[in-house]
Amino acid sequence: MLFWILAALLTTGACLSVLLPFARRPAQAPHASDHDLEVYKDQLGEVERDFGRGLIGRTEAEEARAEIGRRILRLSGSAAPADPAKARDGATARFAAMAAVLAVPLVSWAVYSAVGSPDVPPQPLEARLSGNPAQNTMEELVARAERHLAANPDEGKGWDVLGPIYLRMGRYPEAAKAFAAAIRLEGASAAREAGLGEAIASEAGGIISADAAAAFTRALALEPDYPKARFYLATAKAQEGRLEEAVADWTTLAATSAADSPWRAAAEQAIAEATRRLAGGTTTPAGEAPSGPSAEDVAAAESMAPADRMAMIETMVAGLDEKLRQNPADREGWQRLIRSYVVLGRKDDALAALKRAGEAFPAGTEEARAIAALAAELGLGSTE
Amino acid sequence: MVEIGHFALVLAFALALVQSTIPFLGAVSGNDRLMAVGGPVTVTGFALTALSFVALTQAYVVSDFSVANVWENSHSLKPMIYKISGVWGNHEGSMLLWVLILTFFGALVAAFGRNLPATLRANVLAVQGLIGAAFLLFILVTSNPFARMVPAPIEGRDLNPVLQDVGLAIHPPLLYLGYVGFSVCFSFAVAALIDGRIDAAWARWVRPWTLAAWVFLTGGIAMGSYWAYYELGWGGFWFWDPVENASFMPWLAGTALLHSAIVMEKRSALKIWTLLLAILTFSLSLLGTFLVRSGVLTSVHAFATDPSRGVFILAILTFFIGGSLALFAWRSNALTPGGVFQPISREGALVLNNLFLTTATATVFVGTLYPLFIEAFAGDKISVGAPFFDMTFGALMVPLLAMVPFGPLLAWKRADLYAAAQRLFAAFGGALLAVLAVLVVVDGASVAAALGIGLAVWLVLGALTDLALRSGIGSVGPAVALRRLAGLPRSTYGTALAHLGLGLTVLGIVGVTSFQGERIVAMRQGDTTELAGYTLRFEGMRTVKGPNFTEDQGIFALGTAAGRDLGEIVSAKRLYPARQMPTTEAGIRTFGASQLYVSLGDLTSDGGIVVRIWWKPMVTLIWGGALVMMAGGVVSLLDRRLRVGAPAARKRRDKVAAAGAPS
Repeated sequence: MLFWILAALLTTGACLSVLLPFARRPAQAPHASDHDLEVYKDQLGEVERDFGRGLIGRTEAEEARAEIGRRILRLSGSAAPADPAKARDGATARFAAMAAVLAVPLVSWAVYSAVGSPDVPPQPLEARLSGNPAQNTMEELVARAERHLAANPDEGKGWDVLGPIYLRMGRYPEAAKAFAAAIRLEGASAAREAGLGEAIASEAGGIISADAAAAFTRALALEPDYPKARFYLATAKAQEGRLEEAVADWTTLAATSAADSPWRAAAEQAIAEATRRLAGGTTTPAGEAPSGPSAEDVAAAESMAPADRMAMIETMVAGLDEKLRQNPADREGWQRLIRSYVVLGRKDDALAALKRAGEAFPAGTEEARAIAALAAELGLGSTE
Repeated sequence: MVEIGHFALVLAFALALVQSTIPFLGAVSGNDRLMAVGGPVTVTGFALTALSFVALTQAYVVSDFSVANVWENSHSLKPMIYKISGVWGNHEGSMLLWVLILTFFGALVAAFGRNLPATLRANVLAVQGLIGAAFLLFILVTSNPFARMVPAPIEGRDLNPVLQDVGLAIHPPLLYLGYVGFSVCFSFAVAALIDGRIDAAWARWVRPWTLAAWVFLTGGIAMGSYWAYYELGWGGFWFWDPVENASFMPWLAGTALLHSAIVMEKRSALKIWTLLLAILTFSLSLLGTFLVRSGVLTSVHAFATDPSRGVFILAILTFFIGGSLALFAWRSNALTPGGVFQPISREGALVLNNLFLTTATATVFVGTLYPLFIEAFAGDKISVGAPFFDMTFGALMVPLLAMVPFGPLLAWKRADLYAAAQRLFAAFGGALLAVLAVLVVVDGASVAAALGIGLAVWLVLGALTDLALRSGIGSVGPAVALRRLAGLPRSTYGTALAHLGLGLTVLGIVGVTSFQGERIVAMRQGDTTELAGYTLRFEGMRTVKGPNFTEDQGIFALGTAAGRDLGEIVSAKRLYPARQMPTTEAGIRTFGASQLYVSLGDLTSDGGIVVRIWWKPMVTLIWGGALVMMAGGVVSLLDRRLRVGAPAARKRRDKVAAAGAPS
């Protein structure tokens, strides 16, 4: 509101500046030739001064005087009286003045409404960071915490809070620093170590480096069931090409996590992805060593709608199923297929696959025993 | 506050439109009231632009990152002086400063121009308003500094570290005062063309504006040169860089204008030529703005390269340059040409000065724009570097400089060259002595260097000779001479000082280019090196944390070859983390007019560091000379005769003059 009042006042002031000359009687302006005459008189004076100072000789001074005199004569010959009729306000002049006064508010308010943002309040940084925290955005809260920590860098609690927030905001190097500071000041905990590991891994585009793996291992040493550390260590195995081991770890993680745990969903997804790879998924060219998901793969999977992702996984599982129908003598294939069905929640299909595997391998063989063990592990009824 | 500033800017645009039309209509129809609108509207427009500028500055001071311009160019940890100077350390803010100065000059004309002929004043203000309207529109449409961001980021992206220097607080405002100051001369020229007559007072009126603009431009260029010298870390003071040339061309043309305006004022000659020079000078200023701001050139000055801006400025450029030159072609026939005069005379010398200066401007113009045209049309990148300018510009300057001392000694109308030469005999002898001294004393000095020094001494002594002759030193007693010296018109002092300063600058340039010493060594802690009779011992590195940077300082113990300890020199490299940009902070020690310049290079593999050391003899004279030139301009500006007598004010001033002159 204050803004509109000030804007209106400014506009009024601007209009007044246009109107001002019309409110005054104009002084009769001297004719232009009067100005010239004045200049010539000054020049005559300067010639006298120069002569008096001895800067120019007598003849030069006389010549200069004569020339200036000639100019003055020329001037008085050409001087014509000013036309008094022109000085009066004609209708055109009044119209022009009115248009000018109107143009000021019209142009300014029209242009301002096009380019201005009157509703955006000024936001000085100091006021943003010292006002009511309830009105702050996440970024402002972080900045407040940062300022506080810059002044009190030994306050471990602050770093403890900041670490996960940085992680969520994608500011990974700062997150790693915050977790490290929290560990240094508050002591190691599974959450802090795992957070540190996650920050290092995320900064590297998801690749679990030795540093990150070490952090996760430390987390597990403190808390053997800590799901985040278990998940990422399994991922590390997958990235090293030890896909089966990774899948096994993920499977245990999924099985031991609560149904609504985010790590269960993440593990199941990872298993499906790994399964696809193990099945010689379409995106992995033959002969290439299996590797962890690249940053692009993750991004592609993330950008995919959940339904699409599901459809992709199911297509892959169906492909594996078909392959095993034609070539049933593939123990690992069967194991993958059964596990996939279980992960996808298709228990009937899992049982059917188990049955077909039983047909492929005679009872008592090593393959049959391995599959039976898997079935027991996954909680499927034995076919024997 | 931010949006009030924005609104004030829009309002200033609306007023500029009124300013460009109503006074002009008044002048055409002879209506006094319409003409009188120009004054208050111009002053109000300046007040509004100033309000807008203050609002933007305030947004910088309080780090309001909801303003996109602040977010892009500031940082909450930046020292306050750089927060403020950062306002014009970017494209949008610098354009706002440009317009602020334009409206400021307009307001000055409105305030001090009350005794101008009414139509001339109205037309001048109208032309100023038109320029202002064009640039305000440019700001509002393509480079609005008040664009907002929702939500506001929490931290800014910081100012380019090279610009985080006190130079940014001085160089652009001075330069803009110079560039834009010439707009007043331009407006006067266009107003005279519109009027179809040149008042006798015209030259008197234009001269103070030309002088003021010239003083500021001189200062701006010198400051920019010194800034580049100490900040870029390799001790060069002039690079013939297109951006430098863009500021140098208006300076050359402005210097020519300054001299031709004298002829016009004193002798009513060269009228049309002076008008043309006034138009050309401001056109070159506009061209400089275009070259620097359009992104045609990439340098530290090209803050943002946005094609739409380039096209817009090109349109403004075409309109004002093309329009004014067309007006000149159409109307100049209507003007009464001035008288003719003898070639050997003061005015003849000034014409010669103009010939050389405009040719030099043309040379720089060709050297600057030719590569751009080649690149635009043939796609080849060619570089016209220092050799071209040394060959052409240098060749033009030498005869001009040699003639400078003659100019003030020649009489108006008809002069005796032989007599003038006789009076300069002492100065010539001094210069000759300097040449011989350089050849004898300085080992291995080239003849060219010695002649260059001689030329500089000739300029300095020539300027002093002028003062000595005018006060009659040698022909009258010392007491009389001293009284006469004190009583000399200030414009005489101005001329002498400006020419003396020119001599000092030439001395500095010749000195540093001819006798500079350079040493590049890899030094480890404890190593000692020697240059020009000084020894430097590398004491080691230390890391210092600044407010928004970290600095690696190299500490050097300085001593003379004889073993006397002269303290230490600190040379540093800085890293600004917000932009991950390094800068160099050269260590400089001044001895008289000479400087020892130490700059740090890269670390070597064996733990040492590459150190570049220069001995720069007489280098500070380059900028000191510019300061003296500026002082000359200011003294000349204060000269009484530049005040134009208005008929009404005449009597009062006579009384004042009578009261003030007891003799």
